[in-house]
Amino acid sequence: MNEETSGSRKLRCDDTSKCFELLESILDGEMGDPGKEVLKEKLAKCQPCFEHFHLEQAIREVLKNKCTKQEVPKELAQSIREKLHDVK
Amino acid sequence: MSEVQRRKYSQVEKNSIFDGEFMPHIDSMYNFAYRLTFDEDDAKDLVQDTYLKAYRFINSFEQGTNAKAWLFRILKNSFINEYRKKSKQPAKVDYQEVETYYNSDDVDFQGTTDLRAESVKDMLGDEISNALNSLAVDFRTVIILCDLEGFTYEEMAKILDIPIGTVRSRLHRARNLLKEKLKGYAQHMGYDTEEEE
Ligand SMILES: [Zn+2]
Repeated sequence: MNEETSGSRKLRCDDTSKCFELLESILDGEMGDPGKEVLKEKLAKCQPCFEHFHLEQAIREVLKNKCTKQEVPKELAQSIREKLHDVK
Repeated sequence: MSEVQRRKYSQVEKNSIFDGEFMPHIDSMYNFAYRLTFDEDDAKDLVQDTYLKAYRFINSFEQGTNAKAWLFRILKNSFINEYRKKSKQPAKVDYQEVETYYNSDDVDFQGTTDLRAESVKDMLGDEISNALNSLAVDFRTVIILCDLEGFTYEEMAKILDIPIGTVRSRLHRARNLLKEKLKGYAQHMGYDTEEEE
């Protein structure tokens, strides 16, 4: 996979501000399928974009997978139903 | 609750919406409430109040629209109006001052740290969780909504009553702040933050 090598990528990004904003929108699922094409090209051609993308992706993954859900108190649903019964 | 009442549901319809569309989100609601208040009892009260309000205003909920986003908006408003004053927030900030800073949509998207993706992946759940919890509530909120709950920018804009551009810039700032925290942990734990392989 030549995606993993940096040899063919330029080392300076032409416009990090614009590129990073776009990459972050793509990661957040805001760009749909056209985003995937743009992404492929950026990652293949630009080293700063490549690195930024992988860091941002890692951040999103750990947040999603490691910020464990707080265990919900068992009585909560029941107590909501009881309170609701009173107001009905 | 400023929505116009669109129609009136019958008692049977109300119960079916409440049980079928509202109650399934209780786990996410509690998680959100707990990460806002950092207190189990406050979180329970907040979720309970939200559900009672949701029932009371059920006629302003349009069936087929996103119930989860609708509920999150009520919860967020209840938190701001009733709980923010008394909740145990770690940082007291001058809200007005901060508001003007991060409500500007004009943000320069730059990479701000030399934190590496590999170091982030090696971190423990506690470190990630603590870093998230240490962010000011408005930054924490956008990350919870986007990354933990998977809301779109548009849904977040509705939940938070802010323009989409503000959602985007606030998220970017929030993640940069988070990265700074994680970078601190990475250095402290001796993770590699600079070397390229
Ligand atoms: Zn670039």
